[in-house]
Amino acid sequence: MFPLELTDIFFYIVASMILVTAIFTIIVKNVLRSAIFLIFSFVATAIFYLMLHAEFIAIAQVMVYAGGVVIFVVFTILLTSHLGESTLAIKIPRTFVAGLLSVSFVFVMWRFLLQDLSLSTALPAASADYASLESIALRLLSIESEGFVISFELISVLLLVTLICSITVARKTRDKK
Amino acid sequence: MMIPSVPHPLGDWVRQMIPIPELAFLANALICIIAICAVAIGSAPILIYMERKVCAHIQCRLGPMRLGYRGTLQTIADVMKLLFKEVYAPSGADKFVFYLAPMIVLVAPFLVLAMIPFDHNLQVSNLSVGIPFVIAVNGFGILAILIGGWASNNKYSLLGALRSGAQMISYEISFALVLLFVVMVSGSASLMEITLSQSGTILDWWIFKIPVLGFLAFIMFFISSIAELNRAPFDIAEAEQELTGGYHTEYNGTAFAMFYLAEYINLITISSLASTCFLGGFFPPLIGVEAVDTILLKVPGFLWFAGKVVLMIWAYMMVRWTFVRPRVDQLMALEWKFLLPFNLLLLALGAVYIAF
Repeated sequence: MFPLELTDIFFYIVASMILVTAIFTIIVKNVLRSAIFLIFSFVATAIFYLMLHAEFIAIAQVMVYAGGVVIFVVFTILLTSHLGESTLAIKIPRTFVAGLLSVSFVFVMWRFLLQDLSLSTALPAASADYASLESIALRLLSIESEGFVISFELISVLLLVTLICSITVARKTRDKK
Repeated sequence: MMIPSVPHPLGDWVRQMIPIPELAFLANALICIIAICAVAIGSAPILIYMERKVCAHIQCRLGPMRLGYRGTLQTIADVMKLLFKEVYAPSGADKFVFYLAPMIVLVAPFLVLAMIPFDHNLQVSNLSVGIPFVIAVNGFGILAILIGGWASNNKYSLLGALRSGAQMISYEISFALVLLFVVMVSGSASLMEITLSQSGTILDWWIFKIPVLGFLAFIMFFISSIAELNRAPFDIAEAEQELTGGYHTEYNGTAFAMFYLAEYINLITISSLASTCFLGGFFPPLIGVEAVDTILLKVPGFLWFAGKVVLMIWAYMMVRWTFVRPRVDQLMALEWKFLLPFNLLLLALGAVYIAF
């Protein structure tokens, strides 16, 4: 829809949004506030997926992470932590290790990603309907060689097992007489 | 991709008038935003008036009668009062989160409103993943209620927020399952194509097309959407008698007005979803008789759509003022022990229907 330059500008806006919200997620002292920033960061990531023509993954990102996981995190914070207290305290050795890890990560990124300059201006290679709902659903449940029906069913069995286990753990046990 | 394509002739006209495609795109987007805001904000005062009248007539009163013809100007006075009140946060409240919550609560209703097909060409964005999108953005409403109740620094607010969080997360499951049923039988997740799959006579609407299942699914949708809307009888989130208003106890002025507005826009969007998924969207209720059908077809589609939406809203209001509120545990038992298994059964039966 737009010429490349405008898409680039949009990319940088979204990327800086992700960075700023991610940094705020870490440096904010209040746990609930950092959960809120985490949601913003997830939503911005979903916009990234949209820019890469991955509609369904963007929707799933919002549904599963922003709408599901973080809501449960917020719920848990409200139920467990003392309200309004800033409970996070950062110790110095931990900061040192974290800094070391981040620097080495940035170094690796710089070393390997910046070598391939075509990455920085590449258009999304997939066509607009490559990752549409229909094609994803058809491939997930297809029994052809490129289908994923066995792994899909295996994961669903795994999730069912997890559900039953969590219910068993959480249910009230009756006293044996 | 999610581009507001504006299939309406107006969009083509703008594209002709403005030679630069980017500027035309922005102009079209602006038109879409203004239209959505007009629908959302314009209908809220009407709904407030309607709610007060319906409530009054159920309780054998007359409702607002003094200001204007049968009290029609009363609703403007209500809105003015809300907008001109001073906005302040209670002491000890987390100010940032406190003022963030009313902004987040409006995200979901406006986004869903952009997906609704009001007529053949009146839809902001015809998204192929429309139904998953609706389910996904509903999470923001829960988030706003949770953080709004927490930031108020009030035990009633927090209790209301926790209750509503638990309630909305639970009922979202059966809400999503019923919508999945509709997606399954109509074969598409796009709201426009769901509507188009119901073209024909009144018997082609999904509520009647599948013999008994359609009607049962519609009732399931109705129950779970009342809980999604946090309306009575499932309004344990605000339960005036127990929690003095729940999560928005400490909000006043414009901040409260935004919660209130979100509630009424949600009412519109859920009713629109109901009429899109079950009541044939913008199609007139044709009965197969030539003479009647030609007259029905003369009425434009968006009027039929508006009529169905008003009918649904009226049904929600009747239910609100008729039934008593269940306890929290009863509400949860209803969802997890009745609605959820029943919805799964409905999905299985729907699959059987498709197979035949």
